[in-house]
Amino acid sequence: MYHTWAWVAWLAAAALPAFTLQNPLYLALVLAAAWLVYTALGRSTPLGSSWGAFVRIGVFFLALSIPFNALSIHAGEIVLFRLPEAWPIVGGPITLEAIVAGAANGLSLLAILAVFAAFNAGVDHYQLLRATPAFLFQAGVVVSIAITFVPQMVLAAREIRQAQRIRGHRLRGVRDLLPLIIPLLANGLERAIQLAETMEARGFAGTQVPGPRRQALWLQLGTLAALLALLAGLFILAYYPAGGPLGGNLSGLAVAGLLALFWFQGRGVRRSRYRRPRWEGRDTALAVTSLLVAAAVAGARFLAPATLYYSPYPPAALLPAFNPWIGAALLPLVLPALLAPRMAPRNGSGNGPEQAGARSVAHDSF
Amino acid sequence: MIRFEHLGYRYPGSPSAILEDLSFDVREGEFLLVIGPSGSGKSTLLRCLNGLVPHFYGGQISGRLSVDGRDPVALGPRGMAGTVGFVLQDPEAQFVVDRVEDELAFALENQGQDPIVMRKRVEEALDQLGIAGLRQRSVNTLSGGERQRVAIAAVMTLQPRLLVLDEPTSQLDPQAAEEVLDTLVKLNEDLGLTVVLSEHRLERVVQYADRILYMPGEGRPPILGEPRAVLGQVDLTPPLITLAKALGWSPLPLTIKEGRRFVSREAGIENGGSLPAAVPSANAGSPAVEPSVVPAFAPATSAPVVSVSHLDFSYNGHLALDGVSLDVRQGEFVALMGRNGSGKTTLLKQLVGLLRPQRGEVEIVDPRSHESLNTRRAAVEEIIGVVGYVPQNPNALLFNDTVRQELDFTRRGHNLPPADDGALLDTLGLAGHAEDYPRDLSVGERQRVALASILVAEPQILLLDEPTRGLDYRQKAALAGFLKAEKARGRTIIMATHDVELVAGCADRVVLLGDGQVVVDGPARQVMGESLVFASQINKLYRDPALLTVEAVLARRARQAKGNGHRG
Repeated sequence: MYHTWAWVAWLAAAALPAFTLQNPLYLALVLAAAWLVYTALGRSTPLGSSWGAFVRIGVFFLALSIPFNALSIHAGEIVLFRLPEAWPIVGGPITLEAIVAGAANGLSLLAILAVFAAFNAGVDHYQLLRATPAFLFQAGVVVSIAITFVPQMVLAAREIRQAQRIRGHRLRGVRDLLPLIIPLLANGLERAIQLAETMEARGFAGTQVPGPRRQALWLQLGTLAALLALLAGLFILAYYPAGGPLGGNLSGLAVAGLLALFWFQGRGVRRSRYRRPRWEGRDTALAVTSLLVAAAVAGARFLAPATLYYSPYPPAALLPAFNPWIGAALLPLVLPALLAPRMAPRNGSGNGPEQAGARSVAHDSF
Repeated sequence: MIRFEHLGYRYPGSPSAILEDLSFDVREGEFLLVIGPSGSGKSTLLRCLNGLVPHFYGGQISGRLSVDGRDPVALGPRGMAGTVGFVLQDPEAQFVVDRVEDELAFALENQGQDPIVMRKRVEEALDQLGIAGLRQRSVNTLSGGERQRVAIAAVMTLQPRLLVLDEPTSQLDPQAAEEVLDTLVKLNEDLGLTVVLSEHRLERVVQYADRILYMPGEGRPPILGEPRAVLGQVDLTPPLITLAKALGWSPLPLTIKEGRRFVSREAGIENGGSLPAAVPSANAGSPAVEPSVVPAFAPATSAPVVSVSHLDFSYNGHLALDGVSLDVRQGEFVALMGRNGSGKTTLLKQLVGLLRPQRGEVEIVDPRSHESLNTRRAAVEEIIGVVGYVPQNPNALLFNDTVRQELDFTRRGHNLPPADDGALLDTLGLAGHAEDYPRDLSVGERQRVALASILVAEPQILLLDEPTRGLDYRQKAALAGFLKAEKARGRTIIMATHDVELVAGCADRVVLLGDGQVVVDGPARQVMGESLVFASQINKLYRDPALLTVEAVLARRARQAKGNGHRG
């Protein structure tokens, strides 16, 4: 397993092109890199096996975005056929350009999802949560519990489906979902109460001293005011670009205020860490490479935006151009897959203590 | 260590108190076993010890309670966390973190403990519970027994002076339960940890308990005392003690070893004072066939209603069923036994068409119309007209507002006309609960509602998966009686279970599965008589295949007494 921060750096580097680029050729490269990384890392975490679900969602939206774009955007010169102009929205020429643009949009979403799925396969969620700032700590615990719960809920859902089927239950309408959903919710709720009880009994949050009531009120009012200021600043930036530096300054001040408030709130959380993962050579390699990839993409965007720009609509060309330098800059995203074979899988079925021993926990750096 | 002084407690919104005027002490290092029927307040009592009652539940508490010199009512569960370790029934619902080692460290991290102290405590807890080999594993890959030990280890890292466990083995199979209970005994004996445990598998722990607290419920006062004294007064007892009481053995034997002394002594008297044989062969003086224990096999001429041939099934690359062949005739009561993961549940799901054979065939014959259904081709909707399947966890199917609606739902699913449920609910002891919310009922009642909601479709073949999980002795006896009556009415019953005593009480044939294969298939008496693991307590006591249950022993003695009377 990579160090959490190195792994987050990879996520940032891979997600940046997936979010910002429209060119299907580059997106395909990112997608391929994510897939290679996923196959190399395999299912080492509870959510690692969610790759299939992520990809299915991505393909679903890809399939949806093509007809949606084709029917709603009537720009372009290569007209395939025409729908009667009298039909609202969908009426007009259906163009090849619109179809290609729809596919490119869908591909972009698929690439983003694939990057997150690959990230999931390699991340140690608990370490990630532990790395969250103190004021987000409670939220982090909630996410951690959810991750522990999810595999159990999936099994429970299957069990319920089978049990109701034996009673002659068939899915014919929305109402027929009730026999499946109610037991799932009720079981989940019963479990949640039991868990809450266990956590109480284990003294969870026992040391978090709540401040005086008046102080808590001020903190909440302050947070609210800062959020409003941020909203106003962004509003000014977006709609009154001529408004001068006011919008930018207001937003900046609001963000600084929020950070200060969060820091203040985080002070009340007392906690320590059991496990400090070691930063190893490959983590440095991964982090540095990722930063370089991100810098290259960001640099190209600012210095030579023309090389990244892609739009199938005229006057631009229908087919995307490929700049080999950009392609080469994206290739290092497969690095986690190349470094992976030396890592022992962390857990999963069938791994006995021998592997546990092979990767002795990194307590050394206390 | 613990001192109750006139403690009383009433749940919010409840008209009557569940605990009333409790006064007793528990000494340091004691192993206290709390027993009693479900709903008698065992869980409530345990939750008082760390302040979950009244802090988590609300309600009114009266009297005084002190645990290790501290007051849980004043301090609440957080304040008591360092003194009292608390473990619940369901190991799955207790985990916060996915990884074993992180789970152990979680509470310490939240206390802001020094990493060096933390490291030491986690290592100690791993060793105390014998789970050092699991430290890197994800909790979702562990077996039930392992999970429960991880849950205990997680509270042990806080170094409690008292360990409180609320039926920690009720969700586990016998092997896993033994694993957990052995661990508790070790913690109590080696570390001197005070243990308060509520449990209904008495045969495993009764010998280790220093004292037993019996909570009868329904407002009657509890009984506290030495195990023998308490067990002598209550009727919620394992077969060995039930028999000992019936035969007037004194002092009560708590283990098979102690019980065998009485058996040898009695055999010695019968044999005219000569030294008893190691296996007291009561067969010598009695007729070879005893009418009360003749297996009620259906006539061999009747055609099988279930026939499985060369069935293979694998999932996730694991061969769950490996060449299983099995014929079941109408009116047979078959028990499927075997370790966890030996393929029992998979086989049941094959019989009802939820899973389809990958190789081999499963044929179901409707005994009324003699129509044959092959599960490869038949739809589940057709099969469930003949076969009913009650899953392990009743919570998986209960969702309606009342018990009656629950039964109506199945009827609609089977396109059956509405009918009166009174008789069925009556035989299942649910007569008063027809309008109750099913999930508010006790485990045993919920299990019976699940059973009823399958039985309304009148399936000719009834499949049961672990029907006794979480039931006490009385509820088990009631279930056995009900199933025997159903069998007498011509229903074919196939039941997957770990419960040796239930099988001894009602099954006539045992199929032992191991690693997806049929290991043994034969009459219950023969299979259980030859096995040590799957032998009932009474069977272990007498080592006589004719004697599996208390009733069989008493019936034989009654006959012998009659015979002697005639002779004399």
